[in-house]
Amino acid sequence: MSITLDQVTKHYGGVPVVNDVSLDIGDGEFFVLLGPSGSGKSTLLRAIAGLSGVDHGRIALHGRDVTHVAARKRGVGLVFQNYALFRHMTVAENIEFALRVRHMRGKVRRARRKELLRLVALEGMDERLPAQLSGGQQQRVAVARALAHKPEVLLLDEPFGALDAKIREELRRTIRQVQRELGISTVLVTHDQEEAFAMADRIGIMNLGRLLEVGAPHELYTAPATRFVATFLGAANLFLARRTPDGIQVGASVVAAAGAAAGGRGEHEVVAVVRPEEVEVAPARDDLASGFLARGVVEEVMFTGALERLRVRLEDGAATPLLSFVDGDSTTALQVTRTQHEQRGFAVHPGQSLAIGVRRVHVLPTPLSSFTACATSAALAEALVRQPLLAALVARMKTRVAVRVEPRLGVPDAPCESAADFVGTTVLASQTDCAYRAEWLLRRGAQDLLVLPQQAAAPQRVLIHWMGEAVRGATLAVSASVLRHLSAEAVYVGIVPDDGAGGHGMRELLDARSEAKAAHGLEIRTELRYGDVSQELARRLGAAPGQMLIVGVADLARFAERFRAVLDSGQWPVLIVHRAAP
Amino acid sequence: MSFRQPSVLPGFGLTFGFTTCFLSAIVLLPLAALVLAAGSMHFSDLLRVVTSARALGSYRLSFGASLLAASINLVFGFIIAWTLTRYEFPGRKVIDALIDMPFALPTAVSGIALTTVFAQNGWIGRYLEPLGIKVAYTWVGVTLALTLISMPFAVRAVQPALLEVQRDLEDAAETLGAGRLYVFRRIILPTVLPALLTGFTLSFARAVGEYGSVIFIAGNLPMKTEITPLLIVIHLEEFDYQGAAALGVVMLVISFVVLLTINLLQAWGRRRHVRAAH
Repeated sequence: MSITLDQVTKHYGGVPVVNDVSLDIGDGEFFVLLGPSGSGKSTLLRAIAGLSGVDHGRIALHGRDVTHVAARKRGVGLVFQNYALFRHMTVAENIEFALRVRHMRGKVRRARRKELLRLVALEGMDERLPAQLSGGQQQRVAVARALAHKPEVLLLDEPFGALDAKIREELRRTIRQVQRELGISTVLVTHDQEEAFAMADRIGIMNLGRLLEVGAPHELYTAPATRFVATFLGAANLFLARRTPDGIQVGASVVAAAGAAAGGRGEHEVVAVVRPEEVEVAPARDDLASGFLARGVVEEVMFTGALERLRVRLEDGAATPLLSFVDGDSTTALQVTRTQHEQRGFAVHPGQSLAIGVRRVHVLPTPLSSFTACATSAALAEALVRQPLLAALVARMKTRVAVRVEPRLGVPDAPCESAADFVGTTVLASQTDCAYRAEWLLRRGAQDLLVLPQQAAAPQRVLIHWMGEAVRGATLAVSASVLRHLSAEAVYVGIVPDDGAGGHGMRELLDARSEAKAAHGLEIRTELRYGDVSQELARRLGAAPGQMLIVGVADLARFAERFRAVLDSGQWPVLIVHRAAP
Repeated sequence: MSFRQPSVLPGFGLTFGFTTCFLSAIVLLPLAALVLAAGSMHFSDLLRVVTSARALGSYRLSFGASLLAASINLVFGFIIAWTLTRYEFPGRKVIDALIDMPFALPTAVSGIALTTVFAQNGWIGRYLEPLGIKVAYTWVGVTLALTLISMPFAVRAVQPALLEVQRDLEDAAETLGAGRLYVFRRIILPTVLPALLTGFTLSFARAVGEYGSVIFIAGNLPMKTEITPLLIVIHLEEFDYQGAAALGVVMLVISFVVLLTINLLQAWGRRRHVRAAH
């Protein structure tokens, strides 16, 4: 491995800008860090270069731990977006800078300079000043300069940002060529997904300081694991669908889902991704070659050269709620792209009604699909929908909140008012008899239950704990999904009861950590405490402000009693994951 | 090259004419009058006035202290400008505003303030006295006063240039293997050198012409702590206008030579750059 990051964390003013990032980059690999601005990708690159320190974690280059090594001794080459050439030096002096620092002889310097200028196709430009070169040429000089001292790793920080499209293309090719020729491990930071696809061997996608997913461009595009990656890499239509024993039910038809099936939860709501090019349109349902979704009306037709883009509004009564369109603008318009060939077969115009089919559906492995705010009256439920943390989660998860009114919520032995199943995550306002209400809902089928205090904002730390091995997997899956949408650090709290029944505490900690990493790509810290479970959880929650708890529960016996300390205080957001032991 | 070039301001003829008239009226004409007044003296008289021991002593003090003050400002002005541009700290805005205080203060006030502090029984002076260091009424005091009143020029000249040195340049140099000193010598200094020289020149020019603040702290002992502007005033008070004019011309010539030298140095530096480009 030429670059190894292990739980690298960097805070600015208490907020983690790089949050527990672990990553291995192979020899000669071209790795692209992709993310929106503010996602922490540039900070991570600067940490690798040694220009900013890390608060936690380790960085190794070619097996050498460089976490505390100064930038000038790391042997990296760095290229900046604004070139950062030394204006008062000629091209030759710029390129030879690193060699001069190392007191290399004039003859050796000249030979190396000539070689580098040939490599970036700038022969004969030696005596120019940077101001006399075009942007593209300046960036070539910057690349040559960064390679002069034969660094082990080349780092590129948005190197094409300041260039126009044509030059960009050309420089991309040059850099890729140089990188292949030298076989140098390279990390490129960009916010441009097209650039990432064009250059990367592998892409790592960052958001809110977290490295969400790593994979080959093709893998990430066809089988994203998270909503963020699905919508950030190209356009995506997100649906709330149902997983049934026969497949994925989107709209009127059941489609076989691409990829692996989620393990035994029976029928439940899932988030399905349909790429615009996987949507088929035809005059009538019978003309569709793929599974029928719904009927729709064309809102907009946009010609973009090779492809035609359509926005189609689903007609009322479409059974499947559509969650998002392109940039997370929640709308019911479906995005469709069609090739020239398809356009010739069936021409469409705005206002036209047509049948919509779906060729391929990808189901996200996330267990959190949508939210349902539950309260004793419609007014209280509506108030709950506006709770700041819930609103933030809904916006970031590009999902929706439904409302469920249960007038007899918490009344012993009373049945549910609403006949509908509990769908997605149920949300409950935190109040005095909250533990009883929570138990009431859990006993009546709610699986994931989020208890929210009135004013709770996005937490800075999420504590994770589960009671019983049966819920470990589910709790970790839910935690991973929640944490992808919060810039908080994750801590697994292992608790060994006082009565000495434990003894396997440390083992549990290590298992938790490795399973979180292996199954969900989630880095978590661990800590071990001794005492009564609910008391210890309450104590730990009270130890610092801005904390949230995710707790897995298999057995509901004495639930309200056990969780009164945590739930009834109304201070902390608590997400309860309930899966009955088989 | 044609004189006629399109521009925002009205025609070249008008602006050039205005520039010439304005400069003539407020700079060239008074200077010419000064030279004429001095020229009306008999040459041997003129020589006697400008080369008298007292006059020579005052030149040495005036220009020596001014050069020293400008040099001090070169170093400390750079450090102040660096601190103000590079660091974010509470009270930065206040310090930034304080820099300009010597501009706004009547120079006599600066002089009185310095004397109060540095006189033998002053706040700082009384602690320096036992150490054998005398500030007020010595050349040290003169230099101090000149440093104070010319300091804003040095800081304000360097500040914008430092803002232009991008952090990226230093980061780039660091990843290429350069240590801090090397980065400072090879990257930062060359970039801000023209601004530093400008700051030095302005400081020097301001210090040479200073009168108000110095006379309070200098003690004005002939041959020792008497600056040329004061000598000129003394001549004037004795109604020796010609002698005053003669000393004025000498100051004019020396200042002009020094400033011209610095400007030529700067131009030479720029040319060397441009030549390297071809």
